[in-house]
Amino acid sequence: MKIETTRFGTVSITEDRIIHMPFGMLGFSDQKRFVLFGHKEKSPFCWYQSIDDPALAFVVVSPFGFKSDYAVDADEAAEAMAWEDVDENDLELYVVVTIPMGEPEKMTANLAGPILINAGTRQAIQLVISNSPYTHKFPLL
Amino acid sequence: MLIITRKLGEQITIGDDITVAVIEIKGAWVKLGVAAPKSISVHRQEIYQKIRAQNVAAAAISMADFERASVIIAKTPSRSEAT
Repeated sequence: MKIETTRFGTVSITEDRIIHMPFGMLGFSDQKRFVLFGHKEKSPFCWYQSIDDPALAFVVVSPFGFKSDYAVDADEAAEAMAWEDVDENDLELYVVVTIPMGEPEKMTANLAGPILINAGTRQAIQLVISNSPYTHKFPLL
Repeated sequence: MLIITRKLGEQITIGDDITVAVIEIKGAWVKLGVAAPKSISVHRQEIYQKIRAQNVAAAAISMADFERASVIIAKTPSRSEAT
C-alpha cells in the first residue's frame, strides 16, 4: 500500500508493517496506525510515521543505546492491550526524541513515555511511567 | 464541571464501571482510589500532561533540524557506557 507523508512524500509499505495503536499517542489519540522505519544506516534514529495523517511523524530511538539499564514494567500495558502469552522477544521499546526548533544540540528523549511495540500482534501503546526516576526530557548529548 | 462534596470513605461513580473513592484525607492531601477497566488509562495529570506536551513538541520536528541532529549524534561517541 502507498501512504502519503509530508516529510518523505509517497511511501510504499507492506500492510504487515502497520503498527496499530488502539489508544494512539498522547495528544494524538485520533491516529491509530503507524509505521516504523529506520533513518539510514548507522543512524540511531527511526521515524514513527502516522499512516493516516501525512504530517504526523515522530523521531524515535532505542533507549538502550544511551541508557543501557533502562527498564519498564510491561505487565500493565499488556493487560490494557489484552495481550496474552506475550513473547518477550516480540517486545520492542522506543522513546520519542524532541529536537527543539533551531537547537538540535538540545535534543532530548522522553523516557517517561516510551512506545512499547508488540511485534507479535503488530500493536503498540505509549506508556506513562510515573513513580520512576525517568525524565521526559533526558538530554541525548 | 460537576462539583461534589464527599466524606472520607465515600465514593463517586462515573458511568457503569468507574468508581473513585476517598481513601485518606491528610491536611491538603487527598488519597483517592480509582477502580476502572484496564482499557481506561488513569494517570496523575502532571505526568500525563508532560508526556503529551513532549509529544506535541516532538511532532513539530522540521527536516532541517532533524538532519542537523543526525550529524551531531553521529559525531557523538556512544553513550551506552554513561550512567
